[in-house]
Parts: sequence; structure tokens; C-alpha cells
Amino acid sequence: MDTENLNLFEFAAFDELESEHIAAPRYSYWKSVWRTFFRSKFTVAVSILMVALVLFALIQPLYSGYDPKVAPNINDPDMKFLTPSAKHIFGTDNIGNEVFDAVWAGARNSIIVSFAATGINMVIGVLVGAVWGFSKKMDKWMIEIYNVIANIPFLLLAMILSYVLGAGMCSLIITMTCTSWIVVAYFIRTQVMIIRDREYNLASKCLGTSTWTIITKNILPYLVSVIMTYVAREIPTVISYEVFLSYLGLGLGASNASLGRMISLYTSFMKGYPHLFWIPVSVVAILSISLYIVGQKLADATDPRTHM
Amino acid sequence: MQKGYIWRRLVRSLISIVIIMIIVFTMVYTMVPRENIFFEDSTYRKLSSKSDDKTEYVYSTWQKLGYLDYVRVNDYCLTLYEAGSPEMVAAVEPDSPESQDFVRIYSEKGYSIAKYEINGRYYAYKDIPVIKQMGKWLSQMIVIDTIHSVKDENNPDLERKLSFGRTPSGGLALIGSGSTHKYLLYTDSRFPWIHQNFIKLNLGTSYPTYQGLEVLRVLFQTQGTEVKRHVVFETGYEAESGINFGTLKYKPIVDRMDRKKFVDNYATYETFKDQPSMVGTSFTMGIIAMLLAYGIGLPVGILMARRKDKLADKLGMAYIIFIIAVPSLAYIYLFRYIMTSITDLPSVFTTYGPADVRSWILPVISLAMPSIAGLMLWSRRYIVDQMNTDYVKFAKSKGLNQREIFNRHIFKNAIIPIAHGIPTSLAGCITGALITESIYSVGGMGKMLPNAIRQYNNVMVIALAFMFSGIFILSVLLGDVLITKIDPRISLSEKAGRS
Repeated sequence: MDTENLNLFEFAAFDELESEHIAAPRYSYWKSVWRTFFRSKFTVAVSILMVALVLFALIQPLYSGYDPKVAPNINDPDMKFLTPSAKHIFGTDNIGNEVFDAVWAGARNSIIVSFAATGINMVIGVLVGAVWGFSKKMDKWMIEIYNVIANIPFLLLAMILSYVLGAGMCSLIITMTCTSWIVVAYFIRTQVMIIRDREYNLASKCLGTSTWTIITKNILPYLVSVIMTYVAREIPTVISYEVFLSYLGLGLGASNASLGRMISLYTSFMKGYPHLFWIPVSVVAILSISLYIVGQKLADATDPRTHM
Repeated sequence: MQKGYIWRRLVRSLISIVIIMIIVFTMVYTMVPRENIFFEDSTYRKLSSKSDDKTEYVYSTWQKLGYLDYVRVNDYCLTLYEAGSPEMVAAVEPDSPESQDFVRIYSEKGYSIAKYEINGRYYAYKDIPVIKQMGKWLSQMIVIDTIHSVKDENNPDLERKLSFGRTPSGGLALIGSGSTHKYLLYTDSRFPWIHQNFIKLNLGTSYPTYQGLEVLRVLFQTQGTEVKRHVVFETGYEAESGINFGTLKYKPIVDRMDRKKFVDNYATYETFKDQPSMVGTSFTMGIIAMLLAYGIGLPVGILMARRKDKLADKLGMAYIIFIIAVPSLAYIYLFRYIMTSITDLPSVFTTYGPADVRSWILPVISLAMPSIAGLMLWSRRYIVDQMNTDYVKFAKSKGLNQREIFNRHIFKNAIIPIAHGIPTSLAGCITGALITESIYSVGGMGKMLPNAIRQYNNVMVIALAFMFSGIFILSVLLGDVLITKIDPRISLSEKAGRS
């Protein structure tokens, strides 16, 4: 370089603060999660659909006041088996009730049960699983307890609990959680075991970090995406179980609106009045699929490897 | 190799099964109100007007089912006096000294004392603890048939010996006399050709549904109508009959018809029927569905992994999401609806019965659909994971082509976790598929557990819980052993491996 060009440069003053600055882009985990999540238009569209469905299902029954025990039009043959029209959006069923109201009341119960059961299972399962995966002493015993609990026939348990507790929302949530948490715990235990002996955890341990801090700060954040994947699958599974149990006559009982019972009752009308069967089935399907997709996309977004 | 580990694990599995059984026994015998078992009992309903007979029936049934120990004043007095004697008649009355003794003795033993409503006589009962019930159940589980098995007071001259001979249908047989079964070991033309009756598993007698039949017989015997064929009996008597000679059992009282057919007291038999057993039906359906699932799920999953993020992958994911998110009840109905409207296939199994291939097509595909989705999902996941590993990059840089890398390296590693699940899916074939079977009205195992619970068939519930938990625990062990055979790097024992 010749001296003529060199003259164009100037010496800068020494700035201590600036010299300490590390030239890396700022990274915030949750901001990156949301940015990745909202990047795809498809995901945003499905999320809006899901939120709309959930809100509608939670709010609509408050206005309709649907009660499956009340059948005001039961003696009015003109009100039975009406096909969908402007006045009766989803038509009416075999006892003259509005299918529209029944479907949303059922959807509300399904949503409450699935969110509550999944929440309880995940909280207990993740906590127990994290400790279980970490402690080798505990593993020996827990694996046998798991063997026992996971092998008690679920149907037997469901039937006996519905017997002891009676049918209803609370007893259904208890049925769905009283043994299922151990399956979550077992899954988390395996995940924890995989990353427990990684070098960075070994380093942490050598530096004197307590086990609890290692679990909560080093391991659980790593598991967020795995847990989200599990939640995404668990919610539709619980909805599916509610349908299955109601089909067997074990679910929410006759006094609660239930999509599962509607589906099992209306299968007999499939030939003559197919809309009675297809409407609850499609509501379950759309609800489950949108919840599942949003959960999956959230799981992808919570994986830091997708943030690049 | 890891024999020690497998033995220890077997012992631990057995302990787990025992604990599961304790829990199941406790649930069935203490949490379900015992009055409920009579809901489905027709004898009970007929008795409802005559109150003493009803009490008698209720308590003796409970005793039969192992709920409690039940003693009547008659039973006590019979130990003191001859049946029918005047002392006996006087003693059973409530104010007799013997009855007072009865009350005193049994209340000291911890029994509860009660009176029949109409005739006022005493009876005593005491609950049997769950652990004792289970001990009894376990001790009766394995029945060994010897030539001293039959104890018939009316037939003291019964010969007790073993001899070789032939069954009337022509097979070789080891014939017992004095044993419960006539043919203890015999051959015939049916799979597995050699049959034995020495050791039988006894999981109890069904009640109130399938009343009086052994549980295992209910599950394993052929169903439907008798298949008659021309038979020559031992006596030379010829008739059309569905008799299965191998099942001949001792009958204490033989009638004239039996005399015509049989030369000795072995005159109780089972018959061949035209439809497969419940276990057989479920197992056939499950095995075909499983083969279909592996045959379709694996290749499609591999294809999806190789065409990741292309159209094939997206279509496959759409199918997987659909199956996971939509309740199986709904998509099976949907599938049946579509298929029956575009083809001539029957909508229920019973239209053509199990002998016709057409009956099986729709149920088998319905049963395979969720397994296909699961296998697609997991095989895709494992292969995608393997494709990103260093050894694959290394193989690529060494110049191997895609196909070689795939067949020699990726596939072998990705198949290990899938192989782990094979024994469990096999076990699932035996337990049956509840929803598929009930939608298509297939006479399989799936409905047995819910029906048994609903009809308060405690013996059946316990037997099924035992079978299912045993099969599943052992199949998990089998899966673990299987992957060590496929992949020598995997070690089950704690010392050899790292974790």
C-alpha cells in the first residue's frame, strides 16, 4: 500500500468498553422460537384455526346452555333428523336436539379433558422422569414399578375407576392420568439418560454444580422440543381415548356432552342420516389435526438447531 | 452369553407378574361390589321370590368364586348326626343347643353369624383375604393328570394303569385308566400332530357368562356349529358326530347313549366346530395385518426418508398425521364406508364367515392402518438420523454409491430399534383388536376383557389380565434378546455396557 492512500486513514481513540464487546449476534431463545414458528404461513394459518376452534368450543356452550339430559323437542316428530339448513346449522338428531350445540359442548369437554390430562401427565412425568433418569439407584426400582404399572390392563382400570368414582369429567381425568404419567416418566428417563453423561454435564459436575441445577438448567431446556413433540401427540391421543371409552360406555357418562358418545350413538344412523355421523367425526378430526400440527411446529421451533 | 442376565430378568419379570396379579385381585375382589356379579345371572333372577333359597344361592356362589367361606348350621350338624335322623332334624332349628354351639364356635373363629329370613336357621360366613384367594388361584393353576387323578367312590374297581394303543381315529396314543383324560398323549392329523393331556393350565372356571366352562376352553375352543363326520366308536357303533377323541374325559355317571358309544367311563368329549377359536381368529387377523404393516410401512418409510421434504415424504406425513390425530373409531368407519360403497366386500365379518377370504380383507386392512403409520414414522425417523451420521459421510467420501451405503450400512443400523418392537406387535395379535373386531363383528379376543368386566366375570378378568401381562412382559424381554442377536454391540447386562 502506498503512503498516499495511507494518509486517508485516521487513528481511532482507544475505547475500553467497545474492546470488551464480543462481536456475535444477539441470541434470545424464546424470541428465536417465535420467529421460527411464525416464519411459515401454513403454521400461522393452522394456529389461527386452532385458536378459533378452541375459543369457539369454550365459549359457544356458555350461550347455548346445551344439556344432553334435556330434550325439549323429543315429542315433536317435525324436529327430528332435520338436515343442515340456515336455521339448524348442523341439523337435528334423533331426539330433536340441535347437533350444532351438542357438537360444541362435546368439543369443549374433549378439550378440557385432554388439556387437563395431558398437563397433569406431563408435569408429573417430566419431574419424576428427570430425577429417575439421573439416579441409577432409583432406576433399578423404578423400572420394576414401571413394569408393574404399565402392564395393568388400562380397560380394567378405567372400568373399575368409573365404577368407584362414578362417570364424569373428574373421574375421566383421573382415569387418564393415574397410570399414564409413568409412561411419560419412562420416556423422559430414557431421554435424560442419553444426555446425562455428555461432556458439558460432566464439566458442570466437576465445577460443583448441584444435581438439581444440572437437571433444571442443563438438561430440561435441552428436552423442551422433545417434550413438545410428546405433547403434540398426547393431546389427540387423549381425545381419541375419550372417544374410545365413550364408545364402550365408560367415558363422560350420559349427563355430559361427549363427542365420543355422539359418534358411537350416531353410527347406527350412518345409512339414513349420514350428516349425524360425519359432523362430530369431522369436528374431532379437524380439532385433533390442528392441535397436532401446531404442537409439531412448536416442537420444531423449540429445537435450537432450527434457529440458524 | 448373557445367560445370567436373562435369568435374573426372568425372575424379576415373574415377580412383576405376581405384583400385577395382586393389584388385579385387589381391584376385582374389593373394589367391585360383590352383589353385582348376579346382574347377569338368570338363576338368581328366577329365585328372587323365594328368599331363603336366594340367600343360600348367593352365599354358595360367593363361596364358589372364592369371596368368602360359608357354613350352614346343617353342615355343622351333619358332622354330629346322621342325615335324616330325628336328632338332626331337631338340631338345625335355631333354639336347639347344637345351633347355639354352632353360633358360639363360629363367632369365636371370627365368622359373622346370620339367620335365614324365613326358617330362621343360622349360617356363618367369613371373608377370605385377597392374598389367600390369590394363593389358592396360583396353587390350582397347573394341573397334572396322573392315573390317580380320578376319585370316584361309586367306582372303586377303576383300574389304574397306563397302556399303549390307538385312538379310534387311528393315531398312536398313551392311554390312561384312572386319569382324568383317557388319551394322555396322542397323535393325529391336526397341527402340532402330537398332543398331550398330562399338564394343563387351569385359570379357573368362568362365571356367570360361559357358565361352567374353563376359561382357557372358552378362549381356545373352536366356535360355531358342529362339523359332523362319519365316525366308528370304540364299541363299533357308527354315527355322524363331531367328536374330538383326544378330549375324552372321565364321566362319573354314564347313561345308555354313552354305553352305546364307549366301552368305559371316559365319555365326556368336545366337538370340532366350523369356526376358529377366539384366540385363533384374533391371531390370524393380527398376523396378516402385522405382515401387511411391515410389508408396507417399512418400504414406504424408507422411501420417505430417501425423498425427504419431497412430495412422497409430504404425502406420507399427511397420512401419518391423519392416523395419529383422528380417533381410530372414526377412520375405521370412514374406511369401511368408502370400501363397501366402491367394492362388493361385506361390511361385517359374519356375512360370509371366516371360511371366506372376502370377510377378512376389510378388517385386516383396518387393523394394519395404524401400524403402517407407526412403522412409517419410526423407520423414516431412524433412517434420517442414520443418514446424518459421520460413518455415512465417510462411506460417501470413500466412494461407495447410494445403494451400497443404504443396504450395507444405514438399513442394518436403522432396523435395530424396529426389530425391538416385533415381539410386542406379535403379542398384540393375541390380545386382539377391540375396535376393529367390534366394528366388523369379528368373534375374536378383543371384546373378551371389556365384556368380562361388564358382566362381572371375575375369573375371566383375572385370567385375561394374567395372560396379557405375562405375554407383554415376556415379549419385551424377547425384544431385548432379539436386538442383542442382531447387533453384537448391544449388551443388556450393566457391567459390560456403559449405561
